[in-house]
Amino acid sequence: MKIFSESHKTVFVVDHCPYMAESCRQHVEFDMLVKNRTQGIIPLAPISKSLWTCSVESSMEYCRIMYDIFPFKKLVNFIVSDSGAHVLNSWTQEDQNLQELMAALAAVGPPNPRADPECCSILHGLVAAVETLCKITEYQHEARTLLMENAERVGNRGRIICITNAKSDSHVRMLEDCVQETIHEHNKLAANSDHLMQIQRCELVLIHTYPVGEDSLVSDRPKKELSAVLTSEVHSVRAGRHLATKLNTLVQQHFDLASTTITNIPMKEEQHANTSANYDVELLHHKDAHVDFLKSGDTHLGGSSREGPFKETVTLKWCTPRTNHIELHYCTGAYRISPVDVNSRPSSCLTNFLLNGRSVLLEQPRKSGSKVISHMLSSHGGEIFLHVLSSSRSILEDPPSISEGCGGRVTDYRITDFGEFMRENRLTPFLDPRYKIDGSLEVPLERAKDQLEKHTRYWPMIISQTTIFNMQAVVPLASVIVKESLTEEDVLNCQKTIYNLVDMERKNDPLPISTVGTRGKGPKRDEQYRIMWNELETLVRAHINNSEKHQRVLECLMACRSKPPEEEERKKRGRKREDKEDKSEKAVKDYEQEKSWQDSERLKGILERGKEELAESEIIKDSPDSPEPPNKKPLVEIDETPPVEKSKGPVSLLSLWSNRINTANSRKHQEFAGRLNSVNNRAELYQHLKEENGMETTENGKASRQ
Amino acid sequence: MPTVVVMDVSLSMTRPVSLEGSEEYQRKHLAAHGLTMLFEHMATNYKLEFTALVVFSSLWELMVPFTRDYNTLQEALSNMDDYDKTCLESALVGVCNIVQQEWGGAIPCQVVLVTDGCLGIGRGSLRHSLATHNQRSESNRFPLPFPFPSKLYIMCMANLEELQSTDSLDCLERLIDLNNGEGQIFTIDGPLCLKNVQSMFGKLIDLAYTPFHAILKCGHLTADVQVFPRPEPFVVDEEIDPIPKVINTDLEIVGFIDIADISSPPVLSRHLVLPIALNKEGDEVGTGITDDNEDENSANQIAGKIPNFCVLLHGSLKVEGMVAIVQLGPEWHGMLYSQADSKKKSNLMMSLFEPGPEPLPWLGKMAQLGPISDAKENPYGEDDNKSPFPLQPKNKRSYAQNVTVWIKPSGLQTDVQKILRNARKLPEKTQTFYKELNRLRKAALAFGFLDLLKGVADMLERECTLLPDTAHPDAAFQLTHAAKQLKLASTGASEYAAYDHNVTPLQTDFSGSSTERL
Repeated sequence: MKIFSESHKTVFVVDHCPYMAESCRQHVEFDMLVKNRTQGIIPLAPISKSLWTCSVESSMEYCRIMYDIFPFKKLVNFIVSDSGAHVLNSWTQEDQNLQELMAALAAVGPPNPRADPECCSILHGLVAAVETLCKITEYQHEARTLLMENAERVGNRGRIICITNAKSDSHVRMLEDCVQETIHEHNKLAANSDHLMQIQRCELVLIHTYPVGEDSLVSDRPKKELSAVLTSEVHSVRAGRHLATKLNTLVQQHFDLASTTITNIPMKEEQHANTSANYDVELLHHKDAHVDFLKSGDTHLGGSSREGPFKETVTLKWCTPRTNHIELHYCTGAYRISPVDVNSRPSSCLTNFLLNGRSVLLEQPRKSGSKVISHMLSSHGGEIFLHVLSSSRSILEDPPSISEGCGGRVTDYRITDFGEFMRENRLTPFLDPRYKIDGSLEVPLERAKDQLEKHTRYWPMIISQTTIFNMQAVVPLASVIVKESLTEEDVLNCQKTIYNLVDMERKNDPLPISTVGTRGKGPKRDEQYRIMWNELETLVRAHINNSEKHQRVLECLMACRSKPPEEEERKKRGRKREDKEDKSEKAVKDYEQEKSWQDSERLKGILERGKEELAESEIIKDSPDSPEPPNKKPLVEIDETPPVEKSKGPVSLLSLWSNRINTANSRKHQEFAGRLNSVNNRAELYQHLKEENGMETTENGKASRQ
Repeated sequence: MPTVVVMDVSLSMTRPVSLEGSEEYQRKHLAAHGLTMLFEHMATNYKLEFTALVVFSSLWELMVPFTRDYNTLQEALSNMDDYDKTCLESALVGVCNIVQQEWGGAIPCQVVLVTDGCLGIGRGSLRHSLATHNQRSESNRFPLPFPFPSKLYIMCMANLEELQSTDSLDCLERLIDLNNGEGQIFTIDGPLCLKNVQSMFGKLIDLAYTPFHAILKCGHLTADVQVFPRPEPFVVDEEIDPIPKVINTDLEIVGFIDIADISSPPVLSRHLVLPIALNKEGDEVGTGITDDNEDENSANQIAGKIPNFCVLLHGSLKVEGMVAIVQLGPEWHGMLYSQADSKKKSNLMMSLFEPGPEPLPWLGKMAQLGPISDAKENPYGEDDNKSPFPLQPKNKRSYAQNVTVWIKPSGLQTDVQKILRNARKLPEKTQTFYKELNRLRKAALAFGFLDLLKGVADMLERECTLLPDTAHPDAAFQLTHAAKQLKLASTGASEYAAYDHNVTPLQTDFSGSSTERL
């Protein structure tokens, strides 16, 4: 596989001298009279194309097929030659399409039969062709830049297809010598230039064309090495369709193409709409699409002569698609196609059917009854591809099922949640370059990886490993906290979620705590909330470094989850677990230890349950149906409770610890306005919620007040 | 990739090996010992490999067809008889047939040839085969290179000195060369003994049969996996990029795409991704493939109960009908998806795309794929009813853009007919008439086919004279106008024959009293 083989650069040199204006002497009837209107009218006389017209349309057909199958990296430079060389386009990719070439050819027009034949020569074009082959293409440039010191690995090879009317074999030899000399000269020039490349290999394809019915003055000659750089071959071809056939053969040779005929295509008849006949359509594509046939020597599929491999076509049978069911086929190759007869009705019916989004499976006709689907035709974004499907035995047959392997016995994976996760992490193309703040180019794929990293910082795989992700109430927070940056609204939503949870705890709502692997009813309600709060904290802590707003969510969480002292007191009655709690709180600090935390948490839950069962009889049973305990405060009051500093009651280890952290932190920043302005250590928190416009941060709030 | 073991059972393999110990060994015993070691390794670490056993002398025989049952292979090793002379070529032809019948021509196979370096005598000997290599026709082609992607490993039950004393080594090297350099020759280091045979087969195992272990990652979610079969290094372009690319042992998921969008992409190879449990030494505990070993079974059972990311990923990919795009190396990607076989079993599978910045034209450049959250609005739509894929190429292909090709007369006739048909329905079909007219005009100008313009002009003039009395007066005006314009263009004069110029309908007004014309 070489990118820069001879077919990377093709130069067409078409003779534009006066004799090319001669008729090819092959008539075309263009006035086909429709039946029942023919009485008394004599059809117009048939017309015939000139040698020029035949040459141009055949070379355009060559380019059409090439551009269809290789829209990139295979380039054409078109030159017409008369009293000078006219280079119609450049190697740039923008110039590589039929419309550009057609417009340029129209500007040149047909040769002038009255021009002085002495001034005109194909040599001008050939010299220009060599010159243009030395010019570097954007692909060569890119490869050279990429390889740096290995730039010499980038090859410069090319092909010159010259269509002319030569006078004799010696005239042909003169043309070859001229190309040979010019290459020699230009290679010298290129050696001293950064913008030019020396030609390493050049294939000269000389096509002598002459009117039908005349004798050829030039003889065919197969490919021959004229020098280490130049090979040359001579084709002597009658004009008209013979020339077109020759160029069709050549494009197949030059670009390693092969032909497939789709047979049995059902198509509605124009005249009788309710009947359908079967049609065949011949497609060209890279020959690798036939690799299976070539290797296994299934010659019965097509012609068999080795001499004329380009007359061969592999016949494949159309299988009418049953449904639009989307399936992932095992496809070993996909190759762009080009219909041989692009405008014929069967061809355009087939291509339109495919362009509308349907796929067609193709079957190998076999003498035996077995049906082998070997290919598929399908379009992707307006391009049709022939897919090669694997039809041989799979080496992966009868693999162990995933349920038999590691993790295969676990039944409560969060399949739906992960599905949702995948949808959120779908990819989309970003065609316009984006830049980071520092001005460097941003790679969208790296952004995608970053997002996956953020979204998975805390992502329990199984339902029984998580509480918060089983709670609808947590969704508003969990879905935004993973974001890179939060809006004020996001922060508000997170805070609301937290208040809502506080409210739930106050109402003693049940939590979806898993009881898998535990005896009895599972942990007590307040223990459940503790597990839930810890887990939520783990999630939020995993993201605090994303932005300052994430930090604020954590602050809110820490504020709300620390209970009013009397409640703490009530909870602790009959239990002594401060040490353990302290340990677990510390573990929570690092989300990367999240797993070990979870394991220890669950273990602890199991251990404690034994103790709790003893104590259970003394404690008021809380169930979802039980009335609210009277000693619990309404939500508003919780809002008003100063979250970090406690003025009364015994101090828990948590509050001791957070006090210490807060003191340490307070040295690093200005004190909050609320705390400074508090009365009796009481300040109204989140005042800005009541104000109309949400202020940016509390610190800003303070600044404005001063 | 499947393995064919080709075992030499000619008489020369019964040559005794001089050993200091009491027991007498023959070379075939050494060979069987080495193969036993290979089979045992495969049975534990490479269980999914299909292996066949062929024995040969002047004839060849398929002793064990492709199987994963290593006991059968082992048994066959102990039931081998001794035969006559070595005839390698016919054995290699046999290998070709066996592999092609079973796997076709696209699946890579490893051929392990076990011989003593005595290459036979006379017709059918390797020397004879190589000497006549250039005089072959298509019908009796030499079997190398194998007609399928292959590696040929030659295990010699002889040491280097012995092989070099004759031309055996040269001949064997030619074999590898003939297989496009794909393969390697192994010889015994030092004296012929069990230990040295083991070390030789150990080298083969290291080279070709070590399981490929990797870590599958999706952000912080990870799993240890074995990728089977081993992904082979890939050469992108032997000229520009001659160094084979090897896939990373970190398989990093970069995002997800719907199956409908990825749309049966072409792949280099397919691999099973099997979650594995690694113990502290990093050895594999089990891939979950059932095994007789009891210890392993209980280890498997424990591993089965520990949540594994592969299982989660597989489940969700299956339910959602999506694939995960995975990065295999710099500018190399692949996809992970759920693959179900007919028996309700399904598995996590990985396919490798061709290395390069843009393996699938309909996805565009891989590096340009980013998270949907970066887009202004969700490209999949709020109701998940859209898709940003496939990408449309800049230029349409010829079959999608109504190109003009007149190589066959029928192409030209159809285009003329279209104009004529519309001409007869003027003025209703004015727009289509001029559209077709301009299309023909453009093509005729590009091809320098000015006679056609003149011909069609004549035809339109004739149509004008044939208009029925009931025809709309505008029809005659338009036909005359169009014919005149084509005539002008057919002169080739630059002012009338500009390619970009379009013939526009004659402005007529039959509605009012004035028949004002512009």
